[in-house]
Amino acid sequence: MIQLEHVTKTYLRDDGTPVPALRDITLRIEAGEFVTVRGASGSGKSSLLNILGCLDTPTSGLYRLAGEDVSRYSDKERSGVRARRIGFVFQAFNLLSRTTAVENVEVPALYSGGDVDRGRALALLKRVGLAERAEHFVSELSGGEQQRVAIARALMNAPPLLLADEPTGNLDSAVGDSIMALLTDLNREGLTIVLVTHDERVASYAARELLIRDGVLASDRARENTRGVAHVVG
Amino acid sequence: MSWAKTLSLALRTLRRNPLRSLFMMLGIAVGIASLIAMASVGQATRQETLRQETLRQFKRMVGNFDTVSIQPGGARTRGMPSLISVPPTLRFEDATAIKAEIPNVRRVALSQSAFDIDVQARERTTTTSVWGISEDWMEIRGDDVSAGRGISAQDVETLARVVVIGEDVRSALFPDEDPIGKTLRIAEVPFQVQGVLLSRGAGPGGSSLDDLLLLPVSTASKRLFSRDYLTAITVQLDDPGQYLTAVTAIETLLRERHGIVPPVEDDFTVSNPQAGFEQVAEVDTTLSSVLSGIAVIATLIGGVVIMSLMLIAVSERRREIGVRRAVGATRGDVLRQFLSEAALISALGGVVGVLLGVFGATLASFQQQLPPAFLWGAMAGAVVLATLVGFIFGLQPAWRAASVDPIQALRS
Repeated sequence: MIQLEHVTKTYLRDDGTPVPALRDITLRIEAGEFVTVRGASGSGKSSLLNILGCLDTPTSGLYRLAGEDVSRYSDKERSGVRARRIGFVFQAFNLLSRTTAVENVEVPALYSGGDVDRGRALALLKRVGLAERAEHFVSELSGGEQQRVAIARALMNAPPLLLADEPTGNLDSAVGDSIMALLTDLNREGLTIVLVTHDERVASYAARELLIRDGVLASDRARENTRGVAHVVG
Repeated sequence: MSWAKTLSLALRTLRRNPLRSLFMMLGIAVGIASLIAMASVGQATRQETLRQETLRQFKRMVGNFDTVSIQPGGARTRGMPSLISVPPTLRFEDATAIKAEIPNVRRVALSQSAFDIDVQARERTTTTSVWGISEDWMEIRGDDVSAGRGISAQDVETLARVVVIGEDVRSALFPDEDPIGKTLRIAEVPFQVQGVLLSRGAGPGGSSLDDLLLLPVSTASKRLFSRDYLTAITVQLDDPGQYLTAVTAIETLLRERHGIVPPVEDDFTVSNPQAGFEQVAEVDTTLSSVLSGIAVIATLIGGVVIMSLMLIAVSERRREIGVRRAVGATRGDVLRQFLSEAALISALGGVVGVLLGVFGATLASFQQQLPPAFLWGAMAGAVVLATLVGFIFGLQPAWRAASVDPIQALRS
């Protein structure tokens, strides 16, 4: 699913001095895996997530997503990749305000080229347990419900890969657990999930854990005591 | 994303932010409304003008279309004739000869006019234009008195020291009293006020038509100015259809009397009221194009309002833009979304503005008793203009929206 080869990312400060954020990351994530990425803030895990999500391009190295070399794609081409292959879940949910749950779920369909399928959006809301909240406005939903809507939105264009950035960071632990249970279920149904967190509890749901330190892949290990289903490390 | 989807998304966004949309629309609507009102009223005036309104104004200024005006001096002489500025070529006898020898003449009026003359009544002083006139002058101009009586043939014959004053002169010299029978002085010569002219308000150029004083032309000539030439002869025809024939006959007669043989230039000018009328129409056109210019500027200001509100909206909606970009929107999608919001709201503003403008113009024409003019072309044009203004002023905000970096925008 994901193949990174010698990926580096270097930012330029305003005065022109280069700041390395990622150094020589080589990594494979197979279809159907549930992987967490951990690291302190400033470790480079956000940079990694941006590259994996095709929001950014590597300074050097190769990124192959679902067999497609996307490392030199233009902004427009990457938009297309995001629309078709990647679902995003954010810490802050990032739903559109003054918009109903079902309309939020439909947003990605606007950019995938086809027609907007309301039936599919409603089915996804049902899948995340919010069938009866479809016509509610975002402001009327609790944090956990908003994150469920966000997950349904991420699935709208049926992407093979879901990227989650601290998805439980703004939720209390009980609600966070229910979100993690939902993600675990989705992973069991075949969705590849890469989840960034610094929460040990959340990380324990995944079968594999990557640790980023100073822009380097410091460790890559399978977890024994996973709460989710154990998955073979690729 | 298709245009249809983009537009429906824009419409949804605008509906969800009614207050912002209202303000964006308002600026454009006001500009377009004034544009439409201006054009409609202007058009209504112009249409009706040729029959009535400006015709009436024009009559107030020059007289009827059945009149021919003769002034001293060549064709290049311009402006209102004053005793000081005109050559002494037009004589009293010329007027007598025209009346006696030209067929189709109903009346002939003589006048001697001078401007900026000081007039006194006791301690009050004013400056006005003084017209020595013959008895038919007021009739030809369509003038009437609101009090007392006008200048009669007998007044002219007897060199009576009587005057008829315009409303402006009356209010300057006799603000709180009945002026009839009172005395006023022009250059220390006393005159008795025997009438007040009916007010005619402002002329097409905006200046007052009531700022004048009339007295018998004989009195003016002998007792006041000591000049034996005229500043104008106004001839009223029996048959306005024979206008050109009359003009030619008058020109021939005057050349003969003045001993002028072409190519020597005429020392008089027979003027065509039609030309003056066209001038009035031209003033009207100039005025309405100035007003239209103001309305266009108002519309452009509406565009600037849209631009600034859009710019604010873009910074408020950075997160939304980030989300849309993350789920697959291209820069172009975002650009088109914001652009269509701007164009849509200003198109809407244009429609509202047209409705307001038509409403205003209908009210105005009702008040002025003109038939309302519905300029379908101008209305369509105004909506197109509004849309275009929104599109152009939406470009910069839309470009800024498209340039939002999704990574930055989504950072929480």
